[in-house]
Amino acid sequence: MSAVAGPIVDTRGRPVVDALVAWARRNGWTLSLIALLAVLLAFTKVINPSYGAPGIQGLAISVLPLALAAVAQAVCVIGGGIDLSIGSMMALTSVVAASQMKDQSEEFGVAVILAVLILGLIIGAVNGAVIVITRVPDIVVTLAMSFVWAGAALLVLKTPAGGSAQWLKDLVLGPAGFDWIPKAAVVLIVVVAVIWIPLRRSTVGLSIYAIGSDRLAAFRSGVAVGPTKVIAYATTGLFAALAGISLTASTGIGNPVPGPYTLMSVAAVVLGGVSLAGGRGGVFGPMIGVLILVLIQNDMAFLSLDPNLALVSQGLILIGVVMFGSLIQWRRSRR
Amino acid sequence: MKGQGTTRAKWLVVLTAFALFAVACSDSGSSTAPSAAAPSAAAPSEAPSEAPSEAPAAMYKIGFSNTGGTGNGFREEQNCTAKAEALASGQVESVNMIARNADTAQQLADLRTLIAAGPDAIVFNPSTADGLQAALDEAQAAGIITVAVDAGVSDEETWKFYNNQVDYAYLGAKWLFEQLGGNGSVWYTRGIAGHPADTDRDVGFKKALAEFPGITVVPNEDGVHTGWDPTTATNLANEFISSGEYDKVDGIWTSGMDSQVVDAVKAAGKPYKPIVGADLGAFAAYLLDDVNYPGLVGAAVTNTASVGGAGVNLALKLLNGETVTADASAPLPNTILLSPVLADNQSEEGKATLKSWQTVEGLSPLWPLSVTIDGWTTYTPEQAIACKGPGE
Repeated sequence: MSAVAGPIVDTRGRPVVDALVAWARRNGWTLSLIALLAVLLAFTKVINPSYGAPGIQGLAISVLPLALAAVAQAVCVIGGGIDLSIGSMMALTSVVAASQMKDQSEEFGVAVILAVLILGLIIGAVNGAVIVITRVPDIVVTLAMSFVWAGAALLVLKTPAGGSAQWLKDLVLGPAGFDWIPKAAVVLIVVVAVIWIPLRRSTVGLSIYAIGSDRLAAFRSGVAVGPTKVIAYATTGLFAALAGISLTASTGIGNPVPGPYTLMSVAAVVLGGVSLAGGRGGVFGPMIGVLILVLIQNDMAFLSLDPNLALVSQGLILIGVVMFGSLIQWRRSRR
Repeated sequence: MKGQGTTRAKWLVVLTAFALFAVACSDSGSSTAPSAAAPSAAAPSEAPSEAPSEAPAAMYKIGFSNTGGTGNGFREEQNCTAKAEALASGQVESVNMIARNADTAQQLADLRTLIAAGPDAIVFNPSTADGLQAALDEAQAAGIITVAVDAGVSDEETWKFYNNQVDYAYLGAKWLFEQLGGNGSVWYTRGIAGHPADTDRDVGFKKALAEFPGITVVPNEDGVHTGWDPTTATNLANEFISSGEYDKVDGIWTSGMDSQVVDAVKAAGKPYKPIVGADLGAFAAYLLDDVNYPGLVGAAVTNTASVGGAGVNLALKLLNGETVTADASAPLPNTILLSPVLADNQSEEGKATLKSWQTVEGLSPLWPLSVTIDGWTTYTPEQAIACKGPGE
């Protein structure tokens, strides 16, 4: 946008190209991930020629909870933390939504979803507040809180049960008018854009990056470190709640036992180019990272590989990709 | 240096363009329908009236989804018998198998992945009775036959092939309560919370419990869930013994995590309490081993894992247009129920039955002893143990 609005546009258009190149350099990792995703999609098409619009729709609905979990994780990692309670928060919000929506009207379902989103904000903020007040490391607090939220989920529902408003199911299932555009993908992009883009461009968003990058420098620059951290974790809780709601939307029930979303979200964040040291990265990369991780799983199934071998392969590929990224960053730092 | 960076960035832009191009091109020649199935595939709920006159020449693709219990012998046998049946039938081109510990949402994802692979039938062990409906609808809309094994689902169109889990629990619990003379407390250990088989077994256990008012349940009537995970079961047993609670109970009902409990009791040097388990190799061997397990009183109830192979067999029957008769007494249509059998080590008849189950050499001690089902499997026990599917 700055290239278009800028005053210096010569007849050869070089500034536009330079700006594009500069933008590409800034987003090199994400573009590389997109390229890898494209290669994987092409590979998928080769090994499974019938892979088409239904496959893309299935992929989109499958990645939705994990993508939202990855975005949730990315926000607190950017802020210099990590949240190991995301899977449990998803379980809690999912069972609360499912238990309250069962046999209720469609309109009541809207109120339930709004309440669950607020619940997500609150439990996320509790995570952040405990970290700020106790000064116990994030990893310890969130690990402990993962048991708290998982136990709370089991208090709400002992076994998978509950229900979902039909409009919620319809919101994520099927195509959005055109077969190749799944509703789940539209929902994901809209939800993330509506929450994350204004937040990132706000003072609070800049503060989250600042405390993640250098906590002391941020403090000396006047950033309220504690409240910012609480806001970062509250945002993580909000996205975790959205991920939990997406579980209920896709299954039509709530499951109190947390799935393996926490560690997958960490893997997706690392793969997505977010620095675990904080302060660097965005939420788009982790979303692509999730797509890659899930597509690798799918390809393993299409190839009829032994399921145990598929798990091993997925881990090795993840390590390989992250090592490759580290190598690039190391070479860049040497120049 | 700047030149190098610019070059790299340009390559990235080119790769991005390639990505968009590849995605756009993926439309060409796409087929939203799976590979063609036999005509009967579109209407599995209506059992065809005529069987084909000669062996079918069709080669089918089968999808198989098993969620939870990874490392559990029952699940492993289920997967292996599915592969073995596919191989032995000579009618299956490939088996796409996804087996992992996952929740309902992830099994939905697995089913959708299998649908995208374009199979003729999907055989699956359901993690819940109701949560997979969306994917089942999508599969059936694409002409794919769906078969649930090990437990039922609420979807009427899906064929169900499983052990009668209500009777499984009832038989064992009734035997245990009778052993205790109708009075005492029982440690109630269960499987995966929410799994339809676990829910059915709870119904059977509670039915027997209602007949014996002198029996109390520890820790409570909801029991404790092992997740059908051997490690979790061992940990729970160790904690139960070390807490002193074990000394207070009179009997133990397990949902198949039986030898783990016996091992923990033996390791702790505690006296055995009457115990009910499944027809798993190790447990049945313990029941017959007076030398190493003196005083062990127990009963095993059959719960064959060959339902994996039988599910593939059923899917092939449906694909080939053969007549399949559903069990009229089952709670849902399109259901075939197996009747469990109990054998204890207290009667000569029971011991003879336990011995008669131990016929297959080389079977993993954690696998159920019944490796085949008459009329529903065609592989040999050796093929099941080899665990090889078509093309492997």
